[in-house]
Amino acid sequence: MAITRRGRPGVAVFALPSAVLVLLFFLVPFLANAVFAFVRWTGYTDTLSWAGLSNFTLLGRLGILGHAIRITVIYAVITMAVQNGVGLALATALERTNRVNTVFRSIFFVPVLMSPLAAGYIWSAVLSPDGPANDFLSAVLPGSIHYAYLGHGVSALVTVACIDAWKWSGLATLVYIAGLNRIPAQLTEAARIDGAGPWRRFWSVKFPLLAPAVTFNVVITLVGAFSALDAVFATTGGGPGDATTLLNVALYLQYGQSYFGQASALGLVVTLLVVLTAVPLITWLRRREVPM
Amino acid sequence: MAAARRYVLLSLFAIPWIVLPLWLLVVNSVKTEGDASLLSIGLPAHFNGGANYATVLHQGRYLVGLGNSLLMAVPSIVIVLLLGSMAAWAYARSPRRSLRVTYYVSVLSVVLPPAIIPTVYTLTQLGLNGSRAGYLLTIVGTRLGMVIFLCTGFVRSLPTDWEEAAQLDGAGRWQVYRRIVLPLLSPALFTGAVLLVINVWNDFFFALFLLQGPGRVTLPLTLYQFASSSAYGLRWNLVFAHVILTSLPLLVAYVILQRRVLAGLTEGGTTG
Repeated sequence: MAITRRGRPGVAVFALPSAVLVLLFFLVPFLANAVFAFVRWTGYTDTLSWAGLSNFTLLGRLGILGHAIRITVIYAVITMAVQNGVGLALATALERTNRVNTVFRSIFFVPVLMSPLAAGYIWSAVLSPDGPANDFLSAVLPGSIHYAYLGHGVSALVTVACIDAWKWSGLATLVYIAGLNRIPAQLTEAARIDGAGPWRRFWSVKFPLLAPAVTFNVVITLVGAFSALDAVFATTGGGPGDATTLLNVALYLQYGQSYFGQASALGLVVTLLVVLTAVPLITWLRRREVPM
Repeated sequence: MAAARRYVLLSLFAIPWIVLPLWLLVVNSVKTEGDASLLSIGLPAHFNGGANYATVLHQGRYLVGLGNSLLMAVPSIVIVLLLGSMAAWAYARSPRRSLRVTYYVSVLSVVLPPAIIPTVYTLTQLGLNGSRAGYLLTIVGTRLGMVIFLCTGFVRSLPTDWEEAAQLDGAGRWQVYRRIVLPLLSPALFTGAVLLVINVWNDFFFALFLLQGPGRVTLPLTLYQFASSSAYGLRWNLVFAHVILTSLPLLVAYVILQRRVLAGLTEGGTTG
């Protein structure tokens, strides 16, 4: 049989249905976006015409574009940092598979199953001015605290980013546990015999060997957070003012007003952000990975 | 000793991170509107759960949302798993250049964000904008990459001996796929299925843009519309009851399957 040399005869046709669907519903819109971003296209005229950069310059003049890029990047970095920090800490604590750890793992995974909207509603309640978070702070600190975490610009952005991280950190935890379990026990054992404490063993032995899991988690969380929308819709709706109007939220608002060209321009910015971040990041993180 | 201290720390973290938020959700969903507005974690003075959940079922259009979610999530996930695993077999076993190109495009679709406005445009051209079919096709087209990515690597790690033996015994392509490849792929497909269920069931982004009309709403859309409405949105007891009912299908499935779900995600090879 010629399987190894020419490939299995006729097997290519098995890729056809999925190739058609991916091309039609992923690649075609993806490429079309690079065109629509430069087209004058609203719901109020029947014709589409070339607009050059005017969709971008208009969004810039309105103060939408630069602001949205800035807060989307901040949002993504916070989400990524919190999600990976919590995920890595939990994974280290729950690395070994035993009865108690399994119970903890399954508890910390519950938010992953809930919709980001649900997460948003729950935390809006916890963090509301009269909610349990402020009640607790009022009990341990002097005075009565009624801070509106979602009511002030900067704290709203940070809070929504943390809610997004809360929703997904259970999954990051599992990916890190998988990574830790792939590290040969002899290596940490050897470090222990050489007198390395747990802190040293983690940062000098385990963390470098965890690089593939770090690459995966960091890239996936950043890319996901660049296109965030749900958590904002369930908490601030983009406010106060435009403090949490992330790129995709701005895109939805433009789309809602039938400014399709400008909405496409914002979509293209999200794509560029992902490409410009993901490619160097993957290259750099990959270089850190060492063969075991 | 170290283990005991670790469990104490984990519990201290789990209380504000998981236990209290979920307790606040559950306990306030059965309170009266006035009691729930205090957002306290105390037990209800007066049990109002029956009325709250009945309101969500009727005014919250829960059953319409549940029906639509099932109608779109179940077939799209089955189609993605079937077509994705078929494609993965082809990508792993055929060296054709054209296949390599579509493979890379599929894998890129996992990382790159979906272009939603042109998707709306494409669906309009196809006469599918706002429809369930358009939504389903978009979900399939944008999620196939994940299953292809998980399964292609998996097939490559398998020896070709069984496939060759089956072929020598006279099995056709479809039979080889159906009887040899598909069963061997089941661990990767289970991992893929878990990720797909979480992702598709909770999808709000595509539903928001692609589904039109009150009859086509999925659960996340009904939840959002209910919680944003002036009549119910400010009533925490009702919003919480809707959140619980919306989350319930996956939570029930998780309680039954949790051991396999967690094992599938830790061992199923999600690291790239």
